[in-house]
Amino acid sequence: MQIKRLLLVAGLSLIGLLGQQAWAANPTGAALCVTCHDEEDLPDMSKSAHGFSADKRVPDCITCHGESPTHAKKPSGVSERPHPDRLFIRQFALPANERSAVCLTCHNKDPKRALWAGSQHDNADLACNSCHKIHGNRDKVLAKATQTQVCFTCHKEQRAQINKPSHHPIPEGKMTCSDCHNVHGSAGPKLAKRDSTNDTCYTCHAEKRGPFVHQHEPVAEDCANCHNAHGSTVAGMLKARAPLLCQQCHTPHVAGGIGAVGGQSGVSSSSASGKNVVNLWQGRSCLNCHTQIHGSNNPSATNPTPQLLSR
Amino acid sequence: MYTSEPTHRFHRSLLSLALCAAFVPALAQTAAEEGVVTVGIGALGGSSADRQLFGQYNGLRPDRKIVGSVGIEYGLRDEENANWIQVLGTDLLGDTRELSAVWKNPGNWKLSADYGELVRYDSNTVNTGLTGAGSTTPQVVNVAAGLGSDLELKTKRTRLGLGFSKVISPALQFDMSLKQENKEGARLFGIGMNCPSVIAPGCLGTTLVNTGWAALMLPEPIHSSHVQMEARMAYAAPQLRFSLGYYGSFYRNSNSTLSATIAGSLNNSLTGAASPLSAGFQSLLSQPVALPPDNQAQQVDLSGSYDFTPSTRATLKLAYTAATQHQDFAAAGLAGAPAGVTNLGAQVNTTLVKVGLTSRPLPKLTLLADVRYEDKQDETPIARYNVEGTDVYTNRLLPNRKAKGKLQATWQFSSDYRGRVVADYETIDRGVFTASSAISGVSALRQTTSESGGTAELRRMMSQDFSGAVSVSSSQRRGSNWLKDNSGLGVTEVSNPADPITGFASSAVFMPTLANRQRDKAKIFVDWVPSEALTLQFSAETGSDSYSAPSNYGIRSSRMGQFSVDAGYALSDKWGLTAFASQGTQRLNQARAAAYVLAYDNSSTMIGLGFTGKPMGTLEVGGSLSYIDDRSVYAQKLDASADAYSAALLAASGGLPDIVFRQTALKLFGKYTLDKRSAVRMDLMHQRSSFNDWAWGYNGVPYVYSDGSTVSQKPTQSVSVIGVTYIHQLP
Repeated sequence: MQIKRLLLVAGLSLIGLLGQQAWAANPTGAALCVTCHDEEDLPDMSKSAHGFSADKRVPDCITCHGESPTHAKKPSGVSERPHPDRLFIRQFALPANERSAVCLTCHNKDPKRALWAGSQHDNADLACNSCHKIHGNRDKVLAKATQTQVCFTCHKEQRAQINKPSHHPIPEGKMTCSDCHNVHGSAGPKLAKRDSTNDTCYTCHAEKRGPFVHQHEPVAEDCANCHNAHGSTVAGMLKARAPLLCQQCHTPHVAGGIGAVGGQSGVSSSSASGKNVVNLWQGRSCLNCHTQIHGSNNPSATNPTPQLLSR
Repeated sequence: MYTSEPTHRFHRSLLSLALCAAFVPALAQTAAEEGVVTVGIGALGGSSADRQLFGQYNGLRPDRKIVGSVGIEYGLRDEENANWIQVLGTDLLGDTRELSAVWKNPGNWKLSADYGELVRYDSNTVNTGLTGAGSTTPQVVNVAAGLGSDLELKTKRTRLGLGFSKVISPALQFDMSLKQENKEGARLFGIGMNCPSVIAPGCLGTTLVNTGWAALMLPEPIHSSHVQMEARMAYAAPQLRFSLGYYGSFYRNSNSTLSATIAGSLNNSLTGAASPLSAGFQSLLSQPVALPPDNQAQQVDLSGSYDFTPSTRATLKLAYTAATQHQDFAAAGLAGAPAGVTNLGAQVNTTLVKVGLTSRPLPKLTLLADVRYEDKQDETPIARYNVEGTDVYTNRLLPNRKAKGKLQATWQFSSDYRGRVVADYETIDRGVFTASSAISGVSALRQTTSESGGTAELRRMMSQDFSGAVSVSSSQRRGSNWLKDNSGLGVTEVSNPADPITGFASSAVFMPTLANRQRDKAKIFVDWVPSEALTLQFSAETGSDSYSAPSNYGIRSSRMGQFSVDAGYALSDKWGLTAFASQGTQRLNQARAAAYVLAYDNSSTMIGLGFTGKPMGTLEVGGSLSYIDDRSVYAQKLDASADAYSAALLAASGGLPDIVFRQTALKLFGKYTLDKRSAVRMDLMHQRSSFNDWAWGYNGVPYVYSDGSTVSQKPTQSVSVIGVTYIHQLP
């Protein structure tokens, strides 16, 4: 027990104070906690940010779990030792907002959490420890390779979408949820990292920002009008295949509206007009001609002008 | 392929050394130093074509059979001198290497640097006669279909980031970061044209045998850089916290135009043989295509929160953003701008205000109010860029004002149950249409739309062994009168869309972002722990959108559903099992005039099984098996006004084929601990994918561009990987 306590006190490095008080005749505060809660009881967290004793901001047991006098010293006449003031496990029904309040005592200084109050995750009764593992040296949600495992605990639809053939490099571990989302609250929709979906997308796709001479209104309005950033079976992570997607807004201008593809009976790729069923449904579909779908900065005022996003 | 050097190329070896040199200074011998070095080798089965889906982002697409990998994780904690260094490197020998380093004095300052590369391979292979593919001046060479050379399109991102933080005092902190990302390569792109057309009446020319249209595959050459910088000063007092921030984003593109040299003849669409182009058409196809222009956006913001009382808090964000774009047309090689106009001079200024208030006036009652207002002012000058025949119009401005509000009340019925009701409202004003601009390609516009809705939710608190939530929501969107094209100049408000004279044509399409909409959703989520060994999760969601507009065309309704079950079971202290199954469905119902009513159904099922185990003290094993089945069905039926051609085509073709994507992936690993400092890990992976997307071909008949170029993907792909990694702990 002495060896374990020695390892724990040195390893956890909760606070400099521990080193002095743990061996006192009558340990108090957090030093008292480790007289019982040795390394068999708690995972090693000596390599975490909370274990860096030189940082005067790091908490000790009391900071998060409370003074807990009746837990530290079992009152006489009580058969079971009462719980600490605050526990963060399922069996101890501390409301999510109260659990988060403990962490926010220190972490609300971080401007990234300025909009936590009232945010979607706050509203969904998520507390910090719903996603973060405090007692440990590795927090899955802070590592790019493992973060999605935590997010997919709730976001099942997105788990399926990222495995579709057209996706961001999330399953490959090259991108993760927090690259686009600020889960601690944001001014954008769906907890987008920046103030709008578009501004978030532009952090990697700034070439789409324009503004262009010839704009495509839904592009400037919201990338999510056409794209599902979590993945799709349609190339380009489109929500639907062109020309269906395009025809949700545009009047078709190709004769013969039935969809068909080359290789099917009755379909010939030879046509006097480029506006044929094959060009409409195959290749890049509408984009075979309207290639500048995100906008064109071609200023030419000579016929044919690029106003229809053709060049 | 494209080979020229980027403007600012990072030299990765030097960069890696510099990072290590900067962040690993000599520290006291008493520092706790530890690290892990991993060195691995892997063998891959399957050709490059077998890896078209598998190798999109992992750098394993090229037809290499053997790959090596090196990774490093290093930490140095010197608590006595308050120094902490962390270095993390992954895939250092591959095309997707990442290396990051952090050097900090926690509670005082932090320096960070990161370097990363990411290659994306297009999941198709191009076969083309094109020369100079991926450059700004490719030459179209006409070949018979399939007799060109194979071309793999890829883009590579190279990123360098630097960061610095300083805790100035317990109340003040300063953060700044700088990131540059270079991107180079080529992606699928192209041009197409039909002659003659309204916008190009003269392109047919006088040649007796004309190629009246052309579709050409011309890869977009990519060679750009994007610099982003952020700085923020934050203040925190017991009740008040706020920060003032700056964000700048600067995009620079080394390529301004794509100008192809067009062959004098292309495969004639009527005869399938090479036929000469008319001079007029050849000239039009040779015109430069504008590539994305340099642009920039800068933002300043003030955000923070204030605690009126321990149970009443306000949050705030104010932001002002200016986005500009003033690429010089002539310098970019883009001729024909209106007289006196040298650049677009685009300027879009956006003001954002977001205010939130949360309060608990009673122990059981929590209230929330949130207002968000965004005003996007488009101050781009107007000029006459658009010509259609002899009609001349201007560019169009896209201002936008959005206001969104939410009121929410939560009542704690008991310690376990709470209920919530939410009312929200959103209005969007798209501004007054520019009187001199044209509506291109759309039937109708709308200046304002507003949507109001409500949500009710009952939640069992996350406690004990059973928790969950059920919610239903509904919203309705309405809008102002529709706006109709005013003979090419601006728009006219239409008070009665059905009026045969002043209203819309029966074939008009009213876009789903503007049309009246009824949206309904329901969700349920259950988290159950029936025993210490077993955990279960169940979630289901359904939603529907129903649109109403003055015509019956465009999208009419949509529906989605999502259902999933997850389970985890601990067989013992050493063995654990996981399993999940999920199914998603999506349906779109839409119609087009004089043709079809189409129902698009997508159903996607995913199943996963996993295990982890520790059969002995020195051996860990694990594995997973996943299966995806995704099916898209296009069900068409004739519209009452469909023409004979459509009827004959549907009868002959039987309608669009289904598209099915299936993928099975098996992953196994075993890690054997050799001694206290070293271990060996073996990974096995097999992935089989099948995808019958007909975008580029069906039933053995490829989609063929006018120069004979084709694009293809192997229908069934199998790839296997075996890897052995030696893991050594330092020191």
